[in-house]
Amino acid sequence: MTQPLLAQYFPILVFLGIAGGIALAMVGGSILLARQKPDAEKLSAYECGFAPFDDTRRRFDVRFYLVAILFIIFDLEVAFLFPWAVTLGDIGWLGFFSMMGFLFVLTVGFIYEWRKGALDWE
Amino acid sequence: MLDIGLAHYLVVSAILFVLGVFGIFMNRKNVIVILMSVELILLSVNLNLVAFSAQLGDLTGQVFAMFILTVAAAEAAIGLAIVVIYFRNRGSIEVEDISTLKG
Amino acid sequence: MNWTLALPELVLALSGLAILVAGVLPRRDMTFPCTMMVLGAFLLSGAFVLTQPDGMGFGGQYISDAFARFMKVLVLAGAALALLLALDWNRAEGLSRFEYPVLVLFATLGMMVMISANDLMSLYLGLELLSLPLYVMAAFHRDNARSSEAGLKYFVLGALSSGLMLYGMSLVYGFAGTTNFAQLAQVLGGTAPISAGVVVGIVFIITGLCFKVAAVPFHMWTPDVYEGAPTSVVAYFATATKVGAIAAIVRVLAGPFGGAVDQWQQVIVLASIASMILGAFAAIGQTNIKRLMAYSWISHTGFVLMGLAVGTEAGLRGVLIYTPIYLMMSLGAFSVLVAMRRNGHAVENIQDLAGLGRTDPAMALGMAIFMFAMAGIPPLSGFFAKLYVLLPAVEAGFWLMAVVAVLSSVVSAYYYLRVVKVMYFDASTGALDARPSGVSFVLAGTGLFTMFFFLMPAPLLAAARQAVAALIG
Repeated sequence: MTQPLLAQYFPILVFLGIAGGIALAMVGGSILLARQKPDAEKLSAYECGFAPFDDTRRRFDVRFYLVAILFIIFDLEVAFLFPWAVTLGDIGWLGFFSMMGFLFVLTVGFIYEWRKGALDWE
Repeated sequence: MLDIGLAHYLVVSAILFVLGVFGIFMNRKNVIVILMSVELILLSVNLNLVAFSAQLGDLTGQVFAMFILTVAAAEAAIGLAIVVIYFRNRGSIEVEDISTLKG
Repeated sequence: MNWTLALPELVLALSGLAILVAGVLPRRDMTFPCTMMVLGAFLLSGAFVLTQPDGMGFGGQYISDAFARFMKVLVLAGAALALLLALDWNRAEGLSRFEYPVLVLFATLGMMVMISANDLMSLYLGLELLSLPLYVMAAFHRDNARSSEAGLKYFVLGALSSGLMLYGMSLVYGFAGTTNFAQLAQVLGGTAPISAGVVVGIVFIITGLCFKVAAVPFHMWTPDVYEGAPTSVVAYFATATKVGAIAAIVRVLAGPFGGAVDQWQQVIVLASIASMILGAFAAIGQTNIKRLMAYSWISHTGFVLMGLAVGTEAGLRGVLIYTPIYLMMSLGAFSVLVAMRRNGHAVENIQDLAGLGRTDPAMALGMAIFMFAMAGIPPLSGFFAKLYVLLPAVEAGFWLMAVVAVLSSVVSAYYYLRVVKVMYFDASTGALDARPSGVSFVLAGTGLFTMFFFLMPAPLLAAARQAVAALIG
């Protein structure tokens, strides 16, 4: 760690340079080489689940929140799976079945939300 | 040259923590901002724990941080759900409107 | 070894999962069967608590001792009776959903984990497992603006207090080098001076815990949440969860931070005095009986903290005697509150009790007993509760706190007696609806305990002594 602090970040500078170069090459290449035939549909902004041209302060459908809420929980519990997977060789059967127990609890939650109809859009 | 040590992490996390606490108390606009402030507080705690864990050479802090991360997700989900039903009842989530109960 | 040690919690957790699935799979209303199953789970878990051996498990995260068993029995009893009260009330209000008993079960499980915590980590996880269902329960009447506002307020302040406490925990971990209670006690109990980081951490943890027990100056959420949340939910908030909160603050301050008593004693003394004064004076002007009960709890919190602040064995024993007596008084008073319905609508003003002495003498007598007991009038149980925390404070020379306690008791007697006066001397504005059988059952049980506690206090005193001995070793 004798090298100065900024020098430690040199690989990131290189990375930024390469990323910028590739991005420029792709955009520039398509401008120079591809055929340009714009029409109204192609130029309209793409938004998932909304009519694209509307008041920007329009309210979100509350069902988006429901999906987001359910997603947060099941997504972050995966954080426990990574350390478990990495150390699986060392923690033995107790460790293995502890995680199975945890997944079982998650499954119960999943059965509940499924049965409650939280996963149906309509 | 600058060396990043424990003290730097603690200062950053203290700043985040104070920002979070002030975000809750000084906020006059929107409940969602309060939810974000709560997350900020929890993040500052995580930063603290991980920094201490590295300093002490002890894994407890990192395990603790992992638990906080997941509990924070559950907390955010419940908070959002309550905000949604509150909005359905009142048609607003401005902090100043939350004053039916007092006296 | 680990698994058999934590049997009460495991039984509760597994039955919680099973009941959740059993409630959601059939296409008909499962509220009543689920409530009964949850009551059965509480009973089973209670039986395992009573036969639980001493010991430590799960890598030092979990401890089973006399203190934990004492508090767990109280929590389970309080939760079961509060659930019984909720059954009729929720049905009458159209809140009959099978999720309610399951939420109560998981909140109770969180409390039991918290009580048995032997590490900051398990304390935090237990606390969150308690808090998250409570936020949902406060907002359980989801089409009611006041209920959802109560839930929102409770959530924001609860999340803030958890955050403060966690920040304190991270500091304690960093500067003491461990989160285990036994090792913390060792580090802090030595002769070496305690580092400033640890002291700041302890103060943050106390702040978070004071939020949970609603001690002044962190009490402001209590009256609002009590008023807004459904009465059946408040009956749970005001009984079982208070026991859990007291257990947590006693466990943490007397256990790992027992060696740092000089650092936190002044804070607790201040909170205790402020709670007693505010609880006594702020309740005077209240017209809503749920708000009145909230301020009444704040004043009781002052007494509980008084025993804790003294810090001696006698003081802690006083806290452990106060807790079950408060639990019984509060359950009884809330059984009356739950029964307060007129023409099918819940009423919650003190004035709505007018004339109860003539229209329902049995319930009025019960309410009068609880009010007299809360005011601390002998020979009811509340008098002994206050006596057992007051005496150690006097013996240890905490004169200011003792004088404030007596004076606040006198002031609060005014508003308790006002309820009695309204019941017996004011003209009736119409009889309340007939009370459901669950209410009668809880009313009779808690009333008899409160009334005749003085005849045989010995078993409780012995259990409390044992629990304290386990706590401070």
